[in-house]
Formats: sequence, C-alpha cells, structure tokens
Amino acid sequence: MKNIKSKLAISIVFLFSSLFFSCQENENPNSISQGEMIVEFDNYVGNQNMVIDEVGSTNYRYSTANGQEFNLTRFGYYISHVRLEGPNGEVFIDEMNASADANQIKGYYRVVQGESDTYNIHLKNIPEGQYNKIIFNLGVKEDGIQEGAVGGILDRAAGAWFWNWNSGFINYIIEGHSPASLRDENRLQIHIGGWKNIPSADENPQRFFDNNVEVSLPFDATVRVSETMRPSPHIIMDLLKVIGDTDLAIQNNIHSPAAAVPFVQKLAEAFVVDHTHQ
Amino acid sequence: MKYNLTSRDRLIWPALLFVVIVWVGCVSESDEPKLSLYRFEKPSHFPEPTYTFQNNDVNEKGFKLGKMLFFDPSLSRDGSVSCSSCHVQSHAFADTWLHPFSFGVEDREGVRNSPPLFNLAFQNEFFWDGGVTHLDFAPILAIESEIEMDESFENLVHKLNNHAQYPRLFKEAFGVEEVTGPYVLHAFSQFMLLMVSADSRYDQFVKGDQNALNQEEIEGLLLFRKHCESCHREPLFTDLSYRNNGVQKVITDLGRETITEVSQDRAKFKVPSLRNIEVTSPYMHNARFEGLLQVLNHYTEGIQEQVNIDPLVFEDGKPTIKLSDPEKEKIIAFLKSLTDDNFLNNPIFFNSNE
Ligand code: HEC
Ligand code: HEC
Repeated sequence: MKNIKSKLAISIVFLFSSLFFSCQENENPNSISQGEMIVEFDNYVGNQNMVIDEVGSTNYRYSTANGQEFNLTRFGYYISHVRLEGPNGEVFIDEMNASADANQIKGYYRVVQGESDTYNIHLKNIPEGQYNKIIFNLGVKEDGIQEGAVGGILDRAAGAWFWNWNSGFINYIIEGHSPASLRDENRLQIHIGGWKNIPSADENPQRFFDNNVEVSLPFDATVRVSETMRPSPHIIMDLLKVIGDTDLAIQNNIHSPAAAVPFVQKLAEAFVVDHTHQ
Repeated sequence: MKYNLTSRDRLIWPALLFVVIVWVGCVSESDEPKLSLYRFEKPSHFPEPTYTFQNNDVNEKGFKLGKMLFFDPSLSRDGSVSCSSCHVQSHAFADTWLHPFSFGVEDREGVRNSPPLFNLAFQNEFFWDGGVTHLDFAPILAIESEIEMDESFENLVHKLNNHAQYPRLFKEAFGVEEVTGPYVLHAFSQFMLLMVSADSRYDQFVKGDQNALNQEEIEGLLLFRKHCESCHREPLFTDLSYRNNGVQKVITDLGRETITEVSQDRAKFKVPSLRNIEVTSPYMHNARFEGLLQVLNHYTEGIQEQVNIDPLVFEDGKPTIKLSDPEKEKIIAFLKSLTDDNFLNNPIFFNSNE
C-alpha cells in the first residue's frame, strides 16, 4: 500500500509539473522578432498649443475664423483599432479586447488634454519591418460597447465619456466657454458620439449615425521597427480644422449623433503626421 | 484504505487525476460548478438569449451581491430610494399602481411608468425608447436620472468602496481588490438576468398540458393571436419593435424619436411584453389606463388619427381591431393566464438585507 501511495505521489508531482507547462501560452519558437512604436499626439488650436482652463474661466485664448473667442475646459478623444502598414506589405494590427478587468483592456486609448501621460500611445509586439502609414479609428465602435460593462478608460464610474441615455461613448469631446454662446455661463459643449448605422430603407431616412472615423496618415518617411529601433511618429491635431468655421452662437450644445455629423466630416482632416523620430 | 488496486487501476488513477488536475488548473474560474438555483437557464420554448454571458456568467455570489445592491437605498443621493422602490417583485418588478409615474428622490415625479423587469436576457434594447443597448448599462441611467436616484455613478462606486461590507463581497464574487464600475453593473445584471418568467399556465399549455387553460382562455388565446400577435409576439409577447398605438392624446413624449432623431419614430414606444400583465397596472408608458378593459376599449374605440399611428391598429380613419364585449372578456381571461405565480413568489428574489 505504501508503495502505491508513493507512486501516486510521484505521479502527482510529475503531473503537476507537466501541467505547469501545459497551461503556459504557446510561445511560437519561429516567430520573427518584434519591436515597439510610440505614437505621440500633440493637440493644437490653429498654431497655438492647446491649454485647458478651469471651468468658469473667462480667459479666451482662441478664436474661430470669424473671430468668435473661446477657451477649452475639457478636450480629448478615444482611439482604437490602430493599424500600421509598410511599403512591402507589412501589416501590424493592434490587438483589441474589451473587458470588465481594466488590466485586460487592449487596443483602446484615450488622449485627454492636460493629462500628459495620455499623449503617447505605446504599440507593442510589432513585427520587425518597415512602416510608412498609420491607420486608426477615432472613437469606440460597437465592439467596445456591445460586450457590456467594461473597465479602465471605458468605465463610466472612472470618468469615461459615456452617454447613459443613448448607450455609447463620446468619441471626441470639446467643452469650454465662448462669449458667443448665450447659454448659462457661455457654455460650449460639442460631444461627438454615435456608433450605429441603420441605413435608410424605402421611404425612411437613416436612423442613427456611426460617427466613428477612420483616420489614415502617411508618415513623412518610412521608418524601421526592430528589437533595437523604436520609432516615434508625432501626430498633430488641430481643433480649428473641426470647429474653425462653426458659428458658436448657434452650434454650442451638441449632444447627439445626428447633430454631430457636420463635425464628423471634418475630423479626419484635423490629424496629420508632422514628423517621425527614428 | 481498503482498495485492492489492480495494475489496471493503478494506470487509471493517475490518468483520472491528470484529467481532473488539468481541468481544475486550466479551466477559468467562471466554469466552477454552480448551484442550479443560481444558474441562468433558457426556457425550452424561448429564443436564444442575447445577453453576453461569456463576459458575465451568473453565479450565486454575484447574484446575491446584485440583490443586495438592488434593495439598498443608500445607493441613492439622499439614501431614500432603491431600485426596489420602483421595481416590486409582487408586481413583476414594475411599480405599484400608487405610483403611476414612479417617484424618485424628494418625490420628484418621473415622466414614464416603470416597466416590469423579467426576460431581460432576451431583449436587445431597454427602456421605453430603447436608448439603452445593453442590460449592463440600464442601472447607470436609473442611478443618474435626476428623477430616479439622482446620484452620479462615479460617486456611487466611491461609496461602495468605502462601505463596511461591499468591498469584501465584490472580492468574493469577482476576485477584485477594488470596486469598479463594470463589476457593479455585472452584479446588477446577474440579479436581473435570473428574473425569467416562463412558467405561467399559458406556458404549461403551449408545452403540452391541454388542461392548463380553460375553454374561455383558449378562445381568448385564439382571439389574441388574431388581433394582437403581430406586435405582442409569443413567446416573449413582444416583437421588440417600436410602435405608436395611440396612447398619447397629445404627443408630449417623443419616445423613440429621441434616440433615432427621425420624425418617423415620433411617439413610438417599445412594444411591452404582456406577461404578468394582471399585476402591472397601470398600463402604457404614460400610465394612462388602470384596467385591462380600458386598454381593450382603447384599441377598439379610443384610437384617433395621429402621426405615425400604426396601421395594424388604425387605418382609413378608424381603429382596425374589432371586438365584441364577450370577446374582450375572453382576451382578458387569457391575459390573466400569463400570470406567473412561481416568478412573483420566487424566494431567491426576496430582500435579504437586514
Ligand atoms: C424612481 C423609480 C425607479 C427607480 C428607483 C429605478 N427605476 Fe428602473 N425604471 C424606472 C422607470 C420609470 C423606467 C422606464 C424609464 C424609461 O423608459 O424612460 C425604468 C426602466 C428600467 C429598466 C429597463 C427595463 C426594460 O424593460 O426596458 C431596467 C433594467 C431598470 N429600470 C432597472 C433598474 C435598476 C437596476 C435600478 C436601481 C439601480 C432601477 N431600475 C431604479 C423607474 C425606476
Ligand atoms: C401595432 C402593434 C400593437 C398591436 C396590434 C397591439 N398592441 Fe398592445 N401595445 C403596443 C404598444 C406599442 C404598446 C405600448 C404603448 C405605449 O406605452 O406607448 C402596447 C401596450 C399594451 C398594453 C399595456 C402594457 C403595459 O405593460 O403597459 C396592453 C395590456 C396591450 N398593449 C394589450 C394589447 C392587446 C390585448 C392587443 C390586441 C387586442 C394589443 N395590445 C395589440 C402595440 C400593439
């Protein structure tokens, strides 16, 4: 009996150790080496650096094309589905995962003006090679919403920009004050969101607007990613490209997908790769 | 140990152990064996659920935590209102007739009648206008609504983190060190997902028990299928669409238009289920009717020409549904067979907060 027990014990030890390996993720031994890239976002209003003021501030730093002054008390946007492409068919697709566990969220980023640690998007596991184009989605698509409650930068309780009455995220948020706005405290709120499209059928018009925008930006030069080379494209976003022609006396309170459409058409234009550090 | 192991047994034992260990070691926690009482089960005659169970499977601890939250008034801004103030089990988790418009904090009056809560796992949009596209998000709207609980969701999660018991319960249910928004929402959903109502006499009848309904009720069912089925579709008793059945005399609530932003959806509301209708008076989003006979009289005589009125209930200047008084009685008798006493009295939903 003792003999059997000890044999059993040995096999258990053996099994545990084999189990230890069997549960490990399979590392592909032939995989080509990988590198990283840091994509930097730099927000401007025309040629001025973007600065966030206190709510209530009457210091109007910026003005639109027709001279309406304004300031900003909150500004930012979500980025997801990042992709890189290269001249020789290289493709890198950033992994996406929406999860309740903040540590398991993958591929969602949020640039919040005033929080400098959000300006850099750190892409990892990029196959070694040459790249000359970045493509990303501005906003959060259906895959970040219809999985249900999610954590981290998508957690409403942790400050996510989420509409509760018409479920979905605000893809691009502009808040501030403008003397041109006759609302309480000269408020300016342009919340651009919406993720569904129900195209028009028969005599019915389109319902919902998918206000996610694909932004596709060529780099100023081809860059090389490798284990030792971590390039850093520097993207400039200019808010005046989005609201420069807006009459802030009228368009100062945007809170729904349909109302945001005129702004959405200009969003892709607001981004440009300024230069790339190799 | 009295076993007399043969050599074959000796091989089987480690092999079995191996299987068990790999299973325990590699299988994720949510697959632990559960008490079937706290497990979501699709009734055999229902469609597939739409809820994302792969992200939030129901288990006993999560369900009980959700229940504790559901009955806890300290979640509201002034500590006076819980979900259960407006969603009462004996009324199929609808509000009582005393509160047609559901009173929230400081007795502010809401604008819509609180709907019953059941079979939520099978719906894809929530609230009368369908603005909420996932069950997980429904509590945020209730919590943040000024006329409901008037508390920010952020603040509520903060309160829970500083509570004497909640952090431990969240850890036990979800393995988290900190209470965060998604786990609060998952707990609420777990509680609400088990609110399945599929055990009325009507259900027994369609599952084969010919004696579950009496003659009058069966005739009522046939009339129902003729006149009501196109919108209140079995087995959920809703086709999940948005329609205007003419219950607003003057349109003050734009309904679905608020969400889709097209005037073609003005005054349309989600077709409500009619299960447990006997206990969910008053009826319609604006609580216009107290009794079922009034509802039927509305369909046969009350509807008037209006923007987007549904042609199934009003066409060529008059209501399309025609019913004699005895026919109305039969439909009402049938509607009452949709009352699910086992659901209304199921002790798993009873308040167990002290
Ligand atoms: C003051 C009363 C009140 C309170 C408190 C309240 N609700 Fe509601 N609930 C309502 C009303 C009214 C509606 C319908 C509102 C609408 O459609 O605009 C509703 C709708 C819902 C729905 C959608 C049901 C469906 O079929 O579409 C869910 C789910 C829900 N509530 C859950 C909750 C939860 C969870 C809580 C607690 C966090 C809660 N409610 C607190 C009154 C209330
Ligand atoms: C054109 C589709 C349609 C048809 C046909 C229809 N209904 Fe309805 N019914 C609705 C809609 C939509 C509502 C919710 C209206 C609202 O609140 O604005 C509703 C609400 C109700 C309600 C109130 C439910 C609640 O929870 O408040 C009852 C009861 C009801 N219908 C019974 C019937 C019966 C019985 C018939 C057949 C005689 C019928 N309906 C035919 C669309 C329809």
